[in-house]
Amino acid sequence: MRPFSADASFLAGAAGAFVPELTLRVADTLARLRQARDVTVGCSAKRAVWSFGKTTLYEYLPLREAARDAPQRSAARPLLICFALVNRPYVLDLQPDRSLVRRLLDAGLSVYLIDWGDPDDADRCLDLEDYVERHLGGCVRHILVSRGTSSLDLLGVCQGGVLSLCYTALHRREVANLVTLTTPVDFHTPDNLLSKWVRELDTELLRQSGNVPGEALNRLFLALMPLRLTQQKYVRLLAGNSDQRALEDFVRMERWIFDSPPQAAVALAEFVRWFYQENRLIRGTLRIGGKRVDLAAIVQPVLNLYALGDHIVPPGASAAMERCLGSRDYTGCGIDTGHIGMYASRKGADEIPSRILSWLRERP
Amino acid sequence: MQNPFMSAAFKPDLAFTGAAERFFELLKSFSLPGAGAAGAAGAAPDWSALAGSLAGQFEQWLKSSQSAGPWFTAASAPGSGAGFGAAASSFGPLPLGAGAAPQQDAQRSWDLVARLAQLQAQLASYWSEIAHDAAQRFVTRMGAAAGGAPTLDGALKLYELWVNCAEESYAATVRKEEFCRLQAQLANASAALLVEQRRHAESLVRAFGLPSRNEVDALYAQLKELRTQLAELTEARRPKPPQPDRATAGRGAGKRPASAPARDRRSRRARKPRA
Repeated sequence: MRPFSADASFLAGAAGAFVPELTLRVADTLARLRQARDVTVGCSAKRAVWSFGKTTLYEYLPLREAARDAPQRSAARPLLICFALVNRPYVLDLQPDRSLVRRLLDAGLSVYLIDWGDPDDADRCLDLEDYVERHLGGCVRHILVSRGTSSLDLLGVCQGGVLSLCYTALHRREVANLVTLTTPVDFHTPDNLLSKWVRELDTELLRQSGNVPGEALNRLFLALMPLRLTQQKYVRLLAGNSDQRALEDFVRMERWIFDSPPQAAVALAEFVRWFYQENRLIRGTLRIGGKRVDLAAIVQPVLNLYALGDHIVPPGASAAMERCLGSRDYTGCGIDTGHIGMYASRKGADEIPSRILSWLRERP
Repeated sequence: MQNPFMSAAFKPDLAFTGAAERFFELLKSFSLPGAGAAGAAGAAPDWSALAGSLAGQFEQWLKSSQSAGPWFTAASAPGSGAGFGAAASSFGPLPLGAGAAPQQDAQRSWDLVARLAQLQAQLASYWSEIAHDAAQRFVTRMGAAAGGAPTLDGALKLYELWVNCAEESYAATVRKEEFCRLQAQLANASAALLVEQRRHAESLVRAFGLPSRNEVDALYAQLKELRTQLAELTEARRPKPPQPDRATAGRGAGKRPASAPARDRRSRRARKPRA
């Protein structure tokens, strides 16, 4: 471990009056961060019920309190959460007081979650058709058969929301209600920096280069606001108003942010080209498995929640969904937080589950 | 230097240590004679010294942390100190040096390395532009924050101001079309070099009678197809899910909710014609 070494001799006299206090805070914060280093992530019990390739479908076990209503729960329509390929889904169940999954379970819902796993070199040829039709589709079909139901509710998050939109458009009878969180539809809004940066990437070279490590994508996301995302949030810990629990929450989030799986080369190249470069989803030119993905074919109720301060999926990129869907029951709602705040901030933890639950209750 | 953001096991204490050290470095600039809250009392403000120091620090940091653009770590040019063999991209180390390839292929690799060096130099000019603009913004705005007894809270406020200025300058530059194009060119050149190097490796392993990446990929593709067929056959033998209840699944005219949050924008449109 590299020791902290601050040369404070330059702050002599009155100018350096606060240096002893600052040095103490640094030492204290560092010690507490080391204590918090091994915090656990993920809190709700789940079991694997189906797998295909590296993808695993998990079913969350009912909470003890909610289990009392087991008959009601088993009769309810299952909810499948489809997370992004580029991050780990455990952020939705990070810790008991910030767990969307737990809130859904607590409300008696039957919750399933897709974990895409870590694609390795054997998966470099996986494409978006594989992910949508065979991985996501396999999960849906398993749930429908095992639960003896004809449809489920689908909750897509970020890139997972894009996959969910595609799946719903292609298999609309299997999805009763669709909920999307921070899901882009228009990839060419002027404020989308990520889109500008990848617009001229050579996707054929990307495909040939092999799987992209998670670290490379992290680097990309950090580069959108480098000082804020790699420096400022740590210096803010020196403000001295965070207790150990808050620090542990911080470390959990950091662990999640930097724990990104590798990306299958072909699927990533297709995603960059079809969505970011050619904006096919909103233009109605996207085809998956030879079938056209027509957003106007989505006629089921849709709840679209997006973050007003999102630097990865600008609000306009998501709000554009309203004008593309065929659904007459569309609810769009901007939440006053950032991209990650939607999943894991106190505000997100309070507001998102409540909105989803009340919306679903109105559409049994 | 170990980069806490790129290691397999993320170390928050290491990231914090780095950020705290850079914070102290920044305080050093703030404490230049007359430069704000942490400055020596009574000295005349020397904004140019402060701006120069801040710009220098920020430019150095941008070079070390963002040097290759986000997608690909720098493929070091000859003479840059790292050498060709260290031309590692984020996709992993390059398998061979250019010298190991046949002459014509090696020339292509060297051309790509030269191209990368040229693009890196262009990128460096942007870091310089961002750093100087950020420093100017900061000294323009810090007047109100300057003065008074130096306190830790005051220093933290100056730091916040600095970050705001730096991010604004960064955002203004990295959104420019020419910068975006440069980022893509860097990524493309880096990927092309990697692909070129792998091509060399392919010919080498074939010479030793070893399976090549292309052959393994072809096998995986066959395996994938077989797996897919197997899954479809298995699926066909499974019991079918119940037929959808037309009243609920895929419904377009869902019933109107009883209540709506005040900030929701709800749409109740006539059904659009299917395209």
